[in-house]
Amino acid sequence: MFWRKQNKEASVSSDMANKQQRYEALVLALHADIFRYAYWLVKDKAVAEDITQETFLRAWKSLDTLQDEKAAKSWLITILRRENARRFERKQFDLVDIDDVAIIDEQLSSEVEIEHRELRAIMNALSDEYKEPLMLQIIFGYSGDEIAEQLNLNKNTVMTRLFRARNQVKEALEKANEHRGRQNG
Amino acid sequence: MDELEFRRAVLADPNDKELAKATGDDLKKQAFVKEIKQLDKKITEASNIPVPDGLAHRLLLRQTMAVHTQKRQRSHFIQLALAASVAFILGISVTQWQFKEAASLSEYGIAHVLHEGDYALGASEDISLSQVNAKLARFGGEMTANTGQIYYANFCDFDNIKSLHLVMQGDNGKVSVFIVPHMQGYAIDSAVKGKWNSEAYDLSKASLVIVSDVPSDVAKMRDRLSKNIQFSA
Repeated sequence: MFWRKQNKEASVSSDMANKQQRYEALVLALHADIFRYAYWLVKDKAVAEDITQETFLRAWKSLDTLQDEKAAKSWLITILRRENARRFERKQFDLVDIDDVAIIDEQLSSEVEIEHRELRAIMNALSDEYKEPLMLQIIFGYSGDEIAEQLNLNKNTVMTRLFRARNQVKEALEKANEHRGRQNG
Repeated sequence: MDELEFRRAVLADPNDKELAKATGDDLKKQAFVKEIKQLDKKITEASNIPVPDGLAHRLLLRQTMAVHTQKRQRSHFIQLALAASVAFILGISVTQWQFKEAASLSEYGIAHVLHEGDYALGASEDISLSQVNAKLARFGGEMTANTGQIYYANFCDFDNIKSLHLVMQGDNGKVSVFIVPHMQGYAIDSAVKGKWNSEAYDLSKASLVIVSDVPSDVAKMRDRLSKNIQFSA
């Protein structure tokens, strides 16, 4: 009687340890990308961290159903997007306008940093339907097909949105440079 | 692929391997691809915002805490389930036990008489047949002839069932009679407890329980009543 019980518990705890290991690997491998993606969705670091926490906690609960790392990535993104949508159902947060806030204060003032800040503001100004596929491509290295699958869109739509996203960034950047050039000149 | 299509394709995905073919030796196209790749590099760098310090550790910590709470909740649940089963079994067995104790009409009749003491037996009214019949009507019964003095006739609670309690004159003393609607789970039998003798009978619409301290009075009362009480169909 007793030895059976002990045996069972031992195997349960080894399953548990296994799950724990998989979860740690998942967190270490993907938390940065997931956080960044969350940040670009919500434009706020604290909220992005909250959503990331929720996402990984949910991931833990259904970790057993997960097959490989590629699936894990797309799965986490799906949870994240759902969490984000839910947040909007619950209440509309007061989002700070990105133009008013210096996102990154560390090592400012170098030419590159100024350019990055400018670029971030431009990227944040993109509408969500353009920003989302662009970030999937940039952060996760997704192909057009993969983005289409993730966002449940047709591939042509995705390619058009990616083109428009880059085009808008490019034009905004050129305009800003022109403006600066004129000021400097 | 015309010029416009080419530009669209490059802007959609500058790293697409298919583009190399379309670019070919065209210097202008090569320059455009290079420009957009550079833009992409900048976008990538800009999107690469720093991750808060210790985020990974916080994620792991939160999960560990969640598992811990879950485990505790689970053990609470098991404890609660155990307590609930014990209470359940206890409840069932107590009910069973009580049920057995009073599962006999005749025993219950004696218990009733004992419990009541002199309350009904001490009554010395002379209740008319019509008064008794008014009460018997509730059980669909009628007493056709006078069977001797009736000292007491009232509804009473016979194990939560409304019944008629009569105290009648027997040959050797007062006899208690209960007219009880048919109850499931009760044995129709006889019992003796101390000086009390009791018998129960099934009539067509109700059971009759007779309790007396003289055994022969019980049988005689039964004969008298079975002749004189009729139940309408």
